[in-house]
Amino acid sequence: MADGVTTAREAGETEAGVAGSRLAAFLETLDEPATLLERRRRAWERYTELPMPTRKSEEWRYTDLSRLDPESHVPFAPESGEEENRDAGDLPEQAARLLEGMEARSAVAVRVDGRTLHRRLDPALAERGVVFAPIRRVARERPELLAERLYTSDVSPMEEKLWSLHVAMLTGGDVLYVPDGVRVPEPVHVLRWAGEGDRLLSTHTLLVTGREAEVTWVEEYLSPDLESPLLSLSGLELFAGDGATVHYLSLQRYGRGVKHFSIQHLLAGRDTRLSGLNVNLGGDLARDDVTSHLEGPGSESEMLALWFGDGTQHFDHHTLQHHAAPHAYSDLLYKGALTDSARSVFRGLIRVDRGAQLTDAYQTNRNLLLSKHCHATTLPNLEIEADDVRCSHGATVGQVDEGMLFYLMSRGLTRLTAERLLVFGFFDEVLERVPVEGVRERLRDAIGSKIGL
Amino acid sequence: MAEHVLEVRDLRARVAEDESEILMGVDLTLGPGQIHALMGPNGSGKSTLAKVIAGHPGYDVTGGDVLYDGESILEWEPDERARRGIFLAFQYPSEIPGVTISNFLRTAVNARRGEGNEVDVFEFQKELRERMGLLEMDADFADRYVNEGFSGGEKKRNEILQMAVLRPRLAVMDETDSGLDIDALKIVSNGVNTLSKEDAELGVLLITHYKRILNYIEPDRVHVMIGGRIVESGGPELAEKLEEHGYDWLREELASPT
Ligand SMILES: Nc1ncnc2c1ncn2[C@@H]1O[C@H](COP(=O)(O)OP(=O)(O)O)[C@@H](O)[C@H]1O
Ligand SMILES: [Mg+2]
Repeated sequence: MADGVTTAREAGETEAGVAGSRLAAFLETLDEPATLLERRRRAWERYTELPMPTRKSEEWRYTDLSRLDPESHVPFAPESGEEENRDAGDLPEQAARLLEGMEARSAVAVRVDGRTLHRRLDPALAERGVVFAPIRRVARERPELLAERLYTSDVSPMEEKLWSLHVAMLTGGDVLYVPDGVRVPEPVHVLRWAGEGDRLLSTHTLLVTGREAEVTWVEEYLSPDLESPLLSLSGLELFAGDGATVHYLSLQRYGRGVKHFSIQHLLAGRDTRLSGLNVNLGGDLARDDVTSHLEGPGSESEMLALWFGDGTQHFDHHTLQHHAAPHAYSDLLYKGALTDSARSVFRGLIRVDRGAQLTDAYQTNRNLLLSKHCHATTLPNLEIEADDVRCSHGATVGQVDEGMLFYLMSRGLTRLTAERLLVFGFFDEVLERVPVEGVRERLRDAIGSKIGL
Repeated sequence: MAEHVLEVRDLRARVAEDESEILMGVDLTLGPGQIHALMGPNGSGKSTLAKVIAGHPGYDVTGGDVLYDGESILEWEPDERARRGIFLAFQYPSEIPGVTISNFLRTAVNARRGEGNEVDVFEFQKELRERMGLLEMDADFADRYVNEGFSGGEKKRNEILQMAVLRPRLAVMDETDSGLDIDALKIVSNGVNTLSKEDAELGVLLITHYKRILNYIEPDRVHVMIGGRIVESGGPELAEKLEEHGYDWLREELASPT
């Protein structure tokens, strides 16, 4: 264990005055706008009231939280809202390298251990009213953008424990606001780097778009391999206005030693087009809970995910396509490949409310297993109360096709390379739906370096 | 360099874990720069021979040997055989969803070149375009997924494209002519002839049912396989005779040993 980490732990312990809880003590040290602080306190209360979910519940049957001990992690110091804004050249080498090839972005932010070191937004967009700033600053300067939105998502009882911890322990977050009719031409890209173990990092994203607005958001989670564990909590709240087009992409490529929990709520207005893609490559454990709320008639939602697990990695995905309005369309395609002793879970639900007639909803999970010891669990489900709907779900778990393998090997590819190329091909069905060429390539590169191709 | 690119000696093989033999003592030699045709009725074992040469794991060799440039290859994995220059144009090529021809071929070229010696992306694209030109293929063909939704003719052309890019020393072509219309047949034959001219050492074993392709690719030798054995070998005139009389006369000769 590194010296610095030990010191942080001790510092946390000496401050732990409130009922011996280091996390409670952390709350006492904060100096931030009263509205945020109040939310944290309420969330902390809720957190302490709620039991940790156990494997007895359907939602947590496959991911064991009993050994998760948030108190053993020292929260990163929260952002102040006063950000540094270094040039790309003055960033730590790791972060600077990540910025390469990201010139074509309308906005970029780089966070290191929760602190923003670099942020830029195309001035022409700022002039048109686009806001891209840390939550704390928005709370001070534009509180109306947070009102009725921040932390208002309809989180499920099974999400609430970790959601509360996330809100209470927030390290920092980014707000993107795109006003009516504004089209953000290039992606907004946020890099979140964590460099220390034994820590708790909690990041929030609030995306709000007006009517007919258009934007693509990309966030990346990164770290080196960590010897002592990092607990990463992340929350997304996306409010897409009527007729807006919003793409959300998350690329989780932490090193080993990280447990990552991500809770995402996407809300679509009338005739909104939403798409979300979650790519999980890193960490020891990653759990995504993703909900699409189709609240507006005529809205469309696409939910995509890819994962590649090796070693003893464990990926758990829970999804809900909630059709609350008629005439909406949602399509889910989750594809994962596993090798070694990796595990994955998909548990998805399409829920169609009584009034949501003429719903069109699809759900597909496909799994590719490359070794004898890996395992994928898939549990697609439907819950339909309307009578005039089209819904379907499907799931497969299979091995690589020996005929295809032989074909590739007969061209000189080793068995391993052939398998990896087949995985790449398997993923392509999802990747080709990524709207921006530059982002698609970045995802391909990240996947390529994970699977070793 | 060995005298023969390919030497098959009394080769016996069966479907893995199965009792009955399909190849029952095949003998065949192919010199550098030569083109041999292998003909024979359906089910006689031609594809099995091709797959055993390529190292298909679904077949067990129960006797005999296969030498490539004088070395026994039976212990080599299929990928090693390919990297050393053996190429099989499949009778039924696999569809590989999500993998483009260009990506696939670049990976294959790099597999042959070895780590640290990867081909420059632009050089590769240039080479690929040239090779596609040789086979009269549209440029966007390279961006299509390998064999997915291809017509029979496109699949066969794709096999020859791979051969053209990978430049093998031994090419076994399993019914590359079947399912081709006359124009496609000419293009494919022209491709094979060009490759054979480019590399004076290239050995080709051309498996076919029909004499048709031999009007465009002239074989040095013609062999006939029936019942898992080569029962007759001769010059190009043997193909004419088969075209005219079919295989029955050979079957009859086999039945009455003289
Ligand atoms: N994988 C296999 N499983 C079962 N039988 C096979 C298999 N491969 C070949 N055979 C049998 O072996 C014989 C020869 O087949 P094949 O080599 O494909 O002949 P050809 O290519 O000359 O038409 C046939 O009777 C065929 O049914
Ligand atoms: Mg055959």
